[in-house]
Amino acid sequence: MLGQVFHLVYIGNGTTLLSGNFDFPLTLHAHCLRIPTKDNPTPGCVWGKGVLLSTKTDNNIDRRLFLKGGAIAVAAIPMSGLLAACSKSSDSGSVASDSPLLGSNADNMKGKTIDFAYSRIGGWPPSSAPETQWADFQAYAQANYGYTVNAITFAEAPFGELFQKVAPTLASQSQEFNLLIVDSQWLGALAEPGWIIKADDVIAANPDLDIEPYSSLVTNTYQVYPDGSGVRWGFPQMPDVQGVFLRKDMLEDPKEQAAFKKKTGKDLASTYEVLSEIEYADLVEIIDFFHRPSKGMYGTALMYSKEYDFFSCAYYPFAYSTGGRIWDPATNDVYGILNTPGNAAAMEQFVSLKKYQPKNFAAFGIGDMIDLFTQGKVFSAWQWCAIGKFMSSDKVPADKVISIPIPKWGGKRIGAMGGQPWVINAFNDDDHMRVAIDVLKWWYTKETQDKFILENGGLPWSKEACANPEYQAVGHYVKPFLFMLSEGNSQDFWHLPEYAEMLAVQQEAFNGYATGQVKTAAAALEYAAAKQQQILFKAGRTKTEPPANVDSLKL
Amino acid sequence: MSEKVEKFESKIKSTSTARANKRMSWLLLAPVLIFFAMMNILPTIWMLGLSFYNYTLTSANGATYAGLSNYFDFVKNEQLSQSVSRTFLFLIIAIICQTFLGILIGVLFWKNDKMPGKRLALTLLFTPMVVTPIATALFWKLILDPTFGVMNYFLTSLGLSKVDFLTSSSLAFPTLIVVDTWMWTPFMALMTLAALGSVPKAELEAASVDKLPIYRQVTTVIWPHAKFILMLGILLRSIDAFKTMDLTYIMTNGGPGDRTELIALSLYRFAFKSFKLGYASAVSVFLLFIAIALTAIYLHVLNARKKAEAQA
Repeated sequence: MLGQVFHLVYIGNGTTLLSGNFDFPLTLHAHCLRIPTKDNPTPGCVWGKGVLLSTKTDNNIDRRLFLKGGAIAVAAIPMSGLLAACSKSSDSGSVASDSPLLGSNADNMKGKTIDFAYSRIGGWPPSSAPETQWADFQAYAQANYGYTVNAITFAEAPFGELFQKVAPTLASQSQEFNLLIVDSQWLGALAEPGWIIKADDVIAANPDLDIEPYSSLVTNTYQVYPDGSGVRWGFPQMPDVQGVFLRKDMLEDPKEQAAFKKKTGKDLASTYEVLSEIEYADLVEIIDFFHRPSKGMYGTALMYSKEYDFFSCAYYPFAYSTGGRIWDPATNDVYGILNTPGNAAAMEQFVSLKKYQPKNFAAFGIGDMIDLFTQGKVFSAWQWCAIGKFMSSDKVPADKVISIPIPKWGGKRIGAMGGQPWVINAFNDDDHMRVAIDVLKWWYTKETQDKFILENGGLPWSKEACANPEYQAVGHYVKPFLFMLSEGNSQDFWHLPEYAEMLAVQQEAFNGYATGQVKTAAAALEYAAAKQQQILFKAGRTKTEPPANVDSLKL
Repeated sequence: MSEKVEKFESKIKSTSTARANKRMSWLLLAPVLIFFAMMNILPTIWMLGLSFYNYTLTSANGATYAGLSNYFDFVKNEQLSQSVSRTFLFLIIAIICQTFLGILIGVLFWKNDKMPGKRLALTLLFTPMVVTPIATALFWKLILDPTFGVMNYFLTSLGLSKVDFLTSSSLAFPTLIVVDTWMWTPFMALMTLAALGSVPKAELEAASVDKLPIYRQVTTVIWPHAKFILMLGILLRSIDAFKTMDLTYIMTNGGPGDRTELIALSLYRFAFKSFKLGYASAVSVFLLFIAIALTAIYLHVLNARKKAEAQA
């Protein structure tokens, strides 16, 4: 029975239960027809009129509910056979012809007027860009499907707060946000309680949304939960990778070049070709050369803030590129993987760069990188490529800036992935579900992507778009972006529902080390690894217990 | 006979009037009681119940009964114990500073009736107290920023080196106390003025005529009258300081590390970042008991004052 497609009798919009001897929680939500299996523990979301929803496990079933569920199941078996016989849809990917997951057609939305709402990340330009293009969608909807999108409203909050804003609305099964731009780490937290529609089901209904990505990083980062399962929940909105932004005008200054040669005996690298192959130690040498705090110019700026994942993502390249890992996605173990001497050395190296930065380095986040660099306070900034367009100002114009991939450590480099997916609210009514699908179809049209990338600072992610020379020429940040988005050059981290708790523990410990509260990098990693192991063990994600002293650990 | 009947009738009348009055009073009280029950009692009971469950909003599993395990986890957690003791430290130092400065400023204004521009000065003095704490935190954060902040601009103008107020592990906590003191000293000054205003003028004049030394005036005339209002001020500030979250959240986000993480911020993280609602409820119950204890002291002081006034 497990893993099969169920054709269910419509029971109502409430909750009911299918009884059975399941080894794990049975999760079916308002639009689910597929029962989770051991191999594929996430519930299916093929839209249909069959409605089942339960998060109950067997040992929580009360007798009355059990009998009720049993009766429904008994009634459902012959009905399902009957429906299966009548239905054209016989495989797991098939969708009824009137399914809202297909989006709108020429008839089903014609003449309607609808309001639409989406959530986005505040202070993050790529997620704000759709707003500037909404008028185009309104025209698209009218021209293609004959309906009017009356008002498109949005709610926004910074990275650290947006999840708090959307989670309670989804938990209460509200369609306050019909479509959401979220961070990739939230996929598990949104998918597991059944709050979002599985992208695979939407793609099954709309094969044109199955766009070939530039590399597997796109799929693994923005779409998949559980990690490595291949089950897609999100649609790429905007991919992101890390790079280093440098002052090209300073690098190209003949006086500086002569002074650098005199000081180090080496040529000062100033072209992308040379800088993109640079080793970490050589880059630090250049940073050291341009570090002139007495003149108000600091060598570099990196993110050490405790806020959200700022410190973690800035540190990861140092760990990844020197052979470190932060967890094991197969076993969900952290202890013994994160807290290694190698990772500790990488963290020491990462934090050692604080000597080239302004005093309050420990509070630096994405916004500070932009401010410091565009105000001419730092020679270089380690920043996400997604906001490359915004790393220039009147004071530091774009032609005085060069961006490169993160440096190499002994010939190896692996950066952290950023960027966000779109996800669809599972509690949308039929009309809003159709509009949400339409928005995605519109978003991936050539015209929309042209405007997004050529005018609004967006970046491509599909194989076809990444090969587009027009897109490649849009800014200096595209080259390093495409390089870091290539297979094996970047990697993402946990998409688990416990991500927020794990992140908070880690950020606190890491930031504590950077500011001197925690004396050694090893102690910070030990604390974070033990606490994260405890979180995952308590959540039932790993069978490995945390160390015995986990409760007495403190910063 | 007729007298008895009259008495009986009047008794009935008075009884029915009393009943009607009682009914009316309940009727008038009903909206408040309903509101109180809906907004206060029910959520508190709900929270109490939730504290015995393992419930995470983002988990596919529903709430499962956990007994006292959330409370045991809370007690065992060293990090949280540190957060509680840090909160008490913050509370004690901040209240001492604010009370001392508040009394000083209050006395200054009280003693100088004819001070030119007194009203304007008082209005300006109370401004920090009426500014929303989020705004206060934001502009102090900007003032103290080492790169762009005005404070470090002045320090460097004076030939001093830049100071990293909010991200230094040794300075962040004292800086928060300074900002909290800046914000709430006016409140204690206001309470001081009210307390001094409650001292009868006749007694002060008598003390002045008798040429009592100042410390005797304070101990025998001013303190017996002023102490209740001052203590109420201290208690109200204590309850408020225990709940401080906005300042730390905006200015330091609990950092560097966890150096400025007060218990209210920890609670916020459990409830609205990790969505561990069962555990957060257990922490809330603990905070509730502390708030109740402080409120009990507050009520005790109020009663003591009433008793003292009755005796007088």
